[in-house]
Parts: sequence; C-alpha cells; structure tokens
Amino acid sequence: MSMIPVLVKREFTSRVKGTAYILTTLFGVLVFVALSFLPPIMERINQSMNPGQIDLMVYEQDGESGILPYLQEVSETRDGFALRSGSGFSEQEAYQIVLDEGLSGLLLVDGPLYTLVTTDASNVILNDEIESILNMAVSRYNATRLGLSPEDMNSLFGRVDFRVREVSPLSDDGEELDSVAHTQAMVLAYFLLFMIYMALIMYGNMVASGVAEEKSSRIMEVMVSTVKPLELMLGKIIGVGALGLFQFFIWIGTGLLMNTMGKSGFLGGLLGATQPLSTIPLTTILWFGLYFVLGYFFYASIFAAAGALVSRVEEVSQVVTVIMMLLMAGFFAAYISFLNPNGSVAVVTSLIPFTSPMVMFARIVLGNPPMMEVIASVVLLVAALLIVAWISAKIYHIGILMYGKRPSLRQVLRLIRD
Amino acid sequence: MSLVASEVTKRFRDVTAVDNLSFTVQEGSLFGFLGPNGAGKTTTMRVVLDIIKPDEGRVTWKGLPFGQMGRGFFGYLPEERGLYPKMRLAEHLEFLGRIHGLDRRKAQLETERWIERFGLGDMRHKRIEELSKGNQQKVQTIGTMLHDPELLILDEPFSGLDPVNTALLKDVLLDAHGRGRTIIFSSHRMDQVEEICEDIVLINKGRLLLHGNLKKIKRSMGRQILRISLEGKEDFWAKIPDLELLNSRSDYQEFRLGEGVDPNEVLAEAMRAGQVLRFELVEPSLDQIFVEKVGAMA
Repeated sequence: MSMIPVLVKREFTSRVKGTAYILTTLFGVLVFVALSFLPPIMERINQSMNPGQIDLMVYEQDGESGILPYLQEVSETRDGFALRSGSGFSEQEAYQIVLDEGLSGLLLVDGPLYTLVTTDASNVILNDEIESILNMAVSRYNATRLGLSPEDMNSLFGRVDFRVREVSPLSDDGEELDSVAHTQAMVLAYFLLFMIYMALIMYGNMVASGVAEEKSSRIMEVMVSTVKPLELMLGKIIGVGALGLFQFFIWIGTGLLMNTMGKSGFLGGLLGATQPLSTIPLTTILWFGLYFVLGYFFYASIFAAAGALVSRVEEVSQVVTVIMMLLMAGFFAAYISFLNPNGSVAVVTSLIPFTSPMVMFARIVLGNPPMMEVIASVVLLVAALLIVAWISAKIYHIGILMYGKRPSLRQVLRLIRD
Repeated sequence: MSLVASEVTKRFRDVTAVDNLSFTVQEGSLFGFLGPNGAGKTTTMRVVLDIIKPDEGRVTWKGLPFGQMGRGFFGYLPEERGLYPKMRLAEHLEFLGRIHGLDRRKAQLETERWIERFGLGDMRHKRIEELSKGNQQKVQTIGTMLHDPELLILDEPFSGLDPVNTALLKDVLLDAHGRGRTIIFSSHRMDQVEEICEDIVLINKGRLLLHGNLKKIKRSMGRQILRISLEGKEDFWAKIPDLELLNSRSDYQEFRLGEGVDPNEVLAEAMRAGQVLRFELVEPSLDQIFVEKVGAMA
C-alpha cells in the first residue's frame, strides 16, 4: 500500500490552517476583487488624462498672421475647445482677461513662434493638446498656401487601411486577424502566464522549505525508515500542489463571482463591462492546465532536491536562487514570444523543458504553432520531468540524512553517479 | 535467531564507521546495544533499518532482508529526536500510526490508548512546538510503538526523561517484552542496561568488543571484584601482591583480585588489621567491563 495519500493529507491539512497560507489566499482574493473594479478605475484614469474644457485666447503680436481662421476651423471639430481672439486688446489687457476670467491660457503668435502663457504650466496634458491643435491648424494653413485641396490633405495625412490575414495549409483563403481579439488574447495569455510563473515560484519555494524543515526538525530519519524517499518526495510535491490548486480555485471562483455580479446588474454599473474570464476558450484552459501541472512537477522536483541539500530553512534561499533564475529566463523568453510567437527565440525556448511550460503555452494561445512542435515540447517536458524526478529522488535520498556543510556541485554529481 | 547482522561494513569516504560487524539478536529478547560516543551505534542502527546501505555484509530478520518485511513491523526512535513542530499532538500520533501501516480507525484508537497511558490527555490539541522537551520525547517514543511492532529499535530512549517517566518507559518496554516483542536499545546508562537487558553487544570504533548474554559475559570476565569495609588499618592490602585498589569509597574499598590470589587469605589479613564490617565478592559491573574493554582498545 502506498503511503502517498497519507503524506499528501498531512502536508495539506497542516499547512492549510497556517497563517501564511490564509494570508496569501486572502491577499489573492483582494487582488481579484480589485481586478474586477479595474475597468471603471481605468475609465477614471482616462478621464483625468482628458484636458477637459479649454478656453484659449489668441493674441497675434504683429497684426494678422492668417493662422486664426484655421485655428477656428480645427477648434470646431473638437469638443470643449473655445477660442477667442485677442485683437482689439493690448497684450497687457489680454493677460488681464485671461487672469480675470480664469481662461486656460493666452497663445502669443509671433511669426513662426507660438508661446503659450498659462497659469498652470505644469499641466502637460493641456500643453500637449494645445500643441497638437496648433499643429493641425498650421498644417492646414500651409496646405492652403501651397494650393492643396482638403482631399489632397486627407490623402497625405490620412491613415492607411491596413489588415492582416493569416494563411495556413488548412484554409488557403486566409483568415483575417481580428486585432481586438488578438489584443484580448494577449492580455489573457499574459495574465495566465503570470499565474504559472507566480505559482511555480511560490509553491516551488514551499516545497523546498518544506523539505528543509523536515530535515532541520529531524523528523526525516523516522520518515525515511518507514517511507521510500520517492514516496516522501511525491507526497510533498502533490500535497503542496493540492494547496496551490485549492488557492487557485478560490481565486478564480472569486473572479467568476465578481464577473457574474457585474453581468447581473448588481454591480454592473460599478464594474463596467468585464468579460475576460467568461470568454476564455476551453482549449486555452486545458493547455493552461497541462503546462501548469507538467511545469509544476518538473520544477517542484528540482526545488525538492535543492531543499534536501541544505540543513536549515534559512539556507534554502541560497540554493533556490539558481532555480529562480531559470524560471525568470522562462518568463522573459515567454515575454519575447508574445511579440513574435513563431520567431526563433520562441521556437527554441518552447522546446527546452526549463522554459517550455511558459513559452509554449504563450505560443499556443497567441501563435498557432505547428502541432509537431507542440507534441515535441510536451514529450521533451515529460521525459525531462521523469529524469529530473529520478535524479531528485536520489539526491533527496542521500541529502535528507546529510547534515552540516552544504555539499559542493562535484559531490552532488558523485552522489547521483553512485 | 531472528535478527542477524553478518559482516556488516560501512565506510564514509575515509572513515570506517562499522567494521566487519556481526551479531545476532534472539527473538523476544531485550537487547542492549552499547558503545562509547562515536562507536558507530547510530550508523549500525541505520544499516539495520535499511535507511543506509552497507558497503559489505547484510542484515536479515527471520532470514529475510529488511527491505522485504513491509512497513510497520518495526518501530524506530532515532537519537536525534524530531517531530513536525506545527502538528497537534493527537493528530501527529495518528499520522505516525498511519505511516506505520495502521488504518485510520486503529490509528485513532491506539492514539487515545497511549495518550491515556502516558497522561498526555490535556495536551492532545497542543502543537508539538508548544510541548516541553520531555513531552515531545514521550510523543516520539509512543510514535515508535503505537502500531505494536515486532521489533523496536530505540536509540537512547531514556535520555531526557525524569525518574517518573523513566520508570513508566521501563514498564512499557517490559510490557512489550512480556508480549514477545524484540527490543534493541542503546544507552549510556549502564545501570539501566544491567537492570533490564538480557543480552548485549558492545562495540567501539565500529568493531565488536563483546557479544552475548550479560550474565555469562560477567562470569567470563574471570576476575572477581572484592569489596571490603573495615575499622582499623585500611592500608593492610599493600602487603598482598596482585591486589589492585580500584575504588576507595567512604563506605567500602573495591579491589580487583589478581590471578592466584586466594580471597580467604585476603580475609585473614583483613581480620588481623581490624574489625571487618563487610567482605563481599562481586562480579564486575557493566560499567567496569565497559571502561575496561573500551579503555584497552584506546
């Protein structure tokens, strides 16, 4: 009879009641709740990026410069932009009017030089807005001077109608890429990728420190006398994995709950249109699950071996640094793959087991990689997982009864060879 | 014959921790495993329990290698005590019962029974880290025999226990012994070993020094110990050749009788020197055997 269920149960029940676990779970819930409020918050931020009502007085220093009608014309196309001419006043009087009536500013026109005089010069948003309006007006003014019609202007400065079609052997007419959907997929993939990354680091560290804890509290000797090291290791990895899964269920459940509340109108107005969770395609979730589980077992085995190499919990952080760097490399590789999911960096790193859980997942969500590459990546990852688990169990077996000085890399290699 | 260790050798790089060691432990015996610090006791126990593999030799239980015995037939109390600090007492005992092969019901039942016997009832929901050292030790000792194993291997089970709990543990061990269980334990306290052990093995530097029935060993040591107490000239013995003073206590003097010294002649000499209050021929204590054997090797 295998002892793994008993070990998993102990691992789970003794940690699930721990303060650290409860706190991180609650923190995650808060983050998810906050995420649901993100759209309205973003809206608020957008609003504050809008300069709002602009009242500008234009003062031409050397009589008529001819720019004023064009400014007038542009200002009519924009909401909340009122223009007033300063002609008939002296410069001094114009200043006075701006101050008295609380206008946004006074635009001094001196030939090709435009100066904005304002009481709030640090309002970059206002300055930029006025500059862009001015630019448009000057362009039109110059176009007229050169004898260009408004149509000529449009053909010079209008945006190109640009679309992207993806051709694959299956559908030769090509499928048009929906850029909005693509952006959504990217945001979603980024979010899920970040979850994988965070989970690997969090639960990997939990495994490593758990092993070190067993060593430092010297319970290990009783354990190895009754339970096989591989069972012991798997019990720990699965137990911590179950804790992680439980936490994720709570978090995602929170997200879904907030989502439905947003839809049913209870929080609807407050939440705005939040929909990312309900629009995740099932295949994405399945791929996420597969790479999450494989990646977790792969990295957790390495973390377990690392934990077995130290004698005290405080030393864990020193040995896991290398593993964390590998994880970070995977994260960055995935990030690069986002921009070009089928580029050479993405293809290579999606095959290497250390980075593939993150990179291949990102590629699948964004880039439709060839099936052969996906299969190759899964096979390589599973093979590497088995090898790593075997080596880790060996290190674990020897390491858990080793106390005192941390062994050097050479000693570790010799232990594996024996 | 139940536990047989034959020609076991274990080396750690350049140190030979166990050197060609052979001994047997009869089924149902209370067996003392003795040796000075660093003699290789813990390593031997780990080899016996299949925690580490010997470089040479093998250990069998009733003719079978340990790996084939399945879990739960032994209980092991390592010298380095350790429990999960965050677990609660009853929960922890139950867990230890489970990993030794008890099902959940049986594990709960035994946990209750042992908590009762060791008087830990009001602490059952406390975390291990909140318990005193002595109570932690009790928990761990219970954990080794909760599943009533055939073979108990206890490394220094009495260290850290107060006299009351020492007596309690002694009772428990004798009780298990009465039910035919085999118990191997190591101790530095020779008086405790003498009190409850029938057979012993004494090792030093990984090598066997003595092995067998404790009484026979004592007898075979040959030299007799003489205890004399008298009022009068206490230095009378100096005239007698081959009489070596071992120990001069306030209540008596202890001598070792050399070869060919007749105790009667010593008595006669003593009577001439004064009033003899005590004259006793005794076997050497295990303490003395230990010191002598280990000392001779150094």
